[in-house]
Amino acid sequence: MNNFFLEISGLSKSYGKVQALAEVSLRLIAGEVHALMGENGAGKSTFIKCLSGAVCPDAGRILVDGSPLSPGNLHEAEKAGIVALHQESSAFPHLDAVDNLFVGRELRRFGIFQNRPQMRQETEKLLNRLGEKIDLRTPLEELSLAQRQMIGIARALSHKSRLLILDEPTASLSERETQTLFRIIRQLQSEGIAILYVSHRMEEVFALSSQVTVLRDGRLVETRPTSELTRDELTRLMIGRELLQEAQRKTQRAPGEIRLEVNGLTQKGRFRDISFTLHAEEIVGLAGLVGAGRSEVATAIFGIERATSGTVKVNGVALPSGSVHAAIKCGMAFVPEDRQRQGLVLPLSVADNLNLTKVGAMSRGKFRSAKKERGFAEKAMQKLNIKTASSRSPVKTLSGGNQQKVSLGKWLSTSPSILLLDEPTRGVDVGAKAEIYRTLRQFAQEGMATLVISSDLPELLLLCDRILVMCEGKIAGELSRERATEETILALALPSHKENHREKDTAELTGVSD
Amino acid sequence: MTLSPELIERKNWSQRLLREREISVFVLLIFTLVVVGAINPAFLAVGNLRDLLMQSVPTIIVACGLTLVIVLGEIDISMGSMMGLLATVMGLLTSPSRVGLSVGVGVVSMLALGAGLGLLNGLLVTVGRMPSIIVTLAMLTIFQGVNLTLMNGQWITDLPPGLRFFGIGTFLGIPISLWTALVVVILSVLLARETPLGRRIYAAGSNPDAARLAGISANRLKIFAFTLTGFLTAVATLVSVPRLSVIESGIGSGFELLVVTCVVVGGTRISGGRGAIIGSVLAALLLGLVRPMLIFLHLGVSATYWEKAVQGVFILAAVLADQLSRRSQGKAESA
Repeated sequence: MNNFFLEISGLSKSYGKVQALAEVSLRLIAGEVHALMGENGAGKSTFIKCLSGAVCPDAGRILVDGSPLSPGNLHEAEKAGIVALHQESSAFPHLDAVDNLFVGRELRRFGIFQNRPQMRQETEKLLNRLGEKIDLRTPLEELSLAQRQMIGIARALSHKSRLLILDEPTASLSERETQTLFRIIRQLQSEGIAILYVSHRMEEVFALSSQVTVLRDGRLVETRPTSELTRDELTRLMIGRELLQEAQRKTQRAPGEIRLEVNGLTQKGRFRDISFTLHAEEIVGLAGLVGAGRSEVATAIFGIERATSGTVKVNGVALPSGSVHAAIKCGMAFVPEDRQRQGLVLPLSVADNLNLTKVGAMSRGKFRSAKKERGFAEKAMQKLNIKTASSRSPVKTLSGGNQQKVSLGKWLSTSPSILLLDEPTRGVDVGAKAEIYRTLRQFAQEGMATLVISSDLPELLLLCDRILVMCEGKIAGELSRERATEETILALALPSHKENHREKDTAELTGVSD
Repeated sequence: MTLSPELIERKNWSQRLLREREISVFVLLIFTLVVVGAINPAFLAVGNLRDLLMQSVPTIIVACGLTLVIVLGEIDISMGSMMGLLATVMGLLTSPSRVGLSVGVGVVSMLALGAGLGLLNGLLVTVGRMPSIIVTLAMLTIFQGVNLTLMNGQWITDLPPGLRFFGIGTFLGIPISLWTALVVVILSVLLARETPLGRRIYAAGSNPDAARLAGISANRLKIFAFTLTGFLTAVATLVSVPRLSVIESGIGSGFELLVVTCVVVGGTRISGGRGAIIGSVLAALLLGLVRPMLIFLHLGVSATYWEKAVQGVFILAAVLADQLSRRSQGKAESA
């Protein structure tokens, strides 16, 4: 019965007020592939980080063979054989395979020199075990993503690992490379190494794992044998939420005239053939998993990135590709995902940030007019209910919700006719969320066309008149307000083998994340 | 999945030349020697080449340390007036008319002071969490101020013969300074390529987050690199300053930029992670060649004024080569 070599109990972690992980427990048997699933933000990556010692949990214990690991200690976790393979972050791009495997714990000779021949031999042995041949002198940055991943796995193996944590390992692999990875996973499994496999891809989970653990909102939903589950059941476990706010949805309005028309928009390697229209007075959602290419579509429409082909028309007039200036002139506005880095100038005051988009409108002749600026800013602050001591406080002193309101207000005060929003309420508390929704509604009623990218499905269901769902760089479908539910969205968003265009598409989708 | 032979073939000559700066700088160096030598054979006389080498010795020695600093993503521009200050201290300590210590004690104190000042740079950057360009700019200015105060407007003219030996002495017919540079270069290359310490410096410069995950403390490595650069500046001072019989307060001025130039031209990426000591050394030789080349080509009296401009062009060419190689690499990846 008790053949669990690893027992995790009550693992909790919070960042500020956000509880990222709450009392999650998990047990692992040697040689099992255990899948870890959950929506974006369900707490998977926090869990992995706590387990591998990269992050120190607030509470909980990790027992290896019955003896506890000290929390947040990478070295100890490594020694105990727990190794996490993150997407790419743990590699050294300028160093070759041998250095990547051994840096930090080099084999030595004569005390001070490293024993390069022996390290090279060990590297070769490990790569042979994986059935890989990689030139050992090539810097990693010149190798393919799959090869880099193999080197990551080899590094994990060189730790005599007992648990290998793979985080979305196939995200950037082609079909053939994925098969190779599966072969290696099965081989490691037969050698008694347990694997914690984090993936969105249902078919991979069903193909590989014997147990599935589902997390939702930082909590453990259930651990069950994979064989007892169906795809639908698993989807339900991942979503689970009651749709409390369903009632708040308003009745369908007839949409206004076409404001934005996107036709066959393609950006090589990121997304392809995106076509849709956006009408006045309409809020359209863009759903999809992280990496589906949603943000890339928005940045291409706004002209931050150049599209490979396809057109974007505003009020019937085609926009030149890759010109933010033209987009703004046509009345388009874009509120980016990462407000701290892309949306705001943190050290500047609330007023300065709100006025960034229209410095020209507030000048007096060639000079700034402080009075006009303050007037504009205070009006915007009132309208959006931004809570701050003064319009002169630096934006970085504001709470997340108020920061987001500034980021939004900066564009709304230009009275855009088209608004693109990327994750408008990420890291924002419920109260501010409601105010942001109210503001968006109000502007929509006044005629603005809005496109909302969000990973928060209830948010999309609450806010949107229609929802477009993207999957692996393409629009997988469109759902009307009536047909849209979390299940129907997720069914479209999850990559499926049935419509098997994957092999080529994923190969081209390397390195995408949004 | 593995790199196919054709793909390896495709990384053709021009790409390698762009990517591996040691090779291109070396080719350029030989090319210059051959061309100038063909036009004026006196250029290749043994005596002249030895003089050329000796001119480059301080740059070569300090570039070895600075390469590691830049590989770590930091920079040091304090070496110029640090050299001036160290020269003054060395002169004051050993000159019979001043403190008059024995040469041995004076030299060891000066070397220790160099390492100490480098350590101070390192601590301010890491523990003080200040950007290295600002810290070392401040130190550049401070060292200069202290140096001027110590010199008090005078020159030190009575250097003891024991000290002058480091500048003009020879061993097996080869100047001490050349021996020193040779030893420093060999040890530095070994350090960078063959010791765990060196590999960790490259790792921490390549991806600091990953280095942390691998249990490597970037701060300790940075302190080491700054200290090493300070120490090597002292070594460079020891073997170059006593060539002349006089120490004045202007020694070392502009030296820091010459060393930075050599490291950049030698292929070290200013953002860290990549760079070879041998590249910096070859670049130091190449840049040291510019002035004599202008003289030996008999381009007229004012030709040597072009030295700085030519060096500047080398910097731009180096950065351009970086851009081109990165662009061609980007293309190769998306194809």
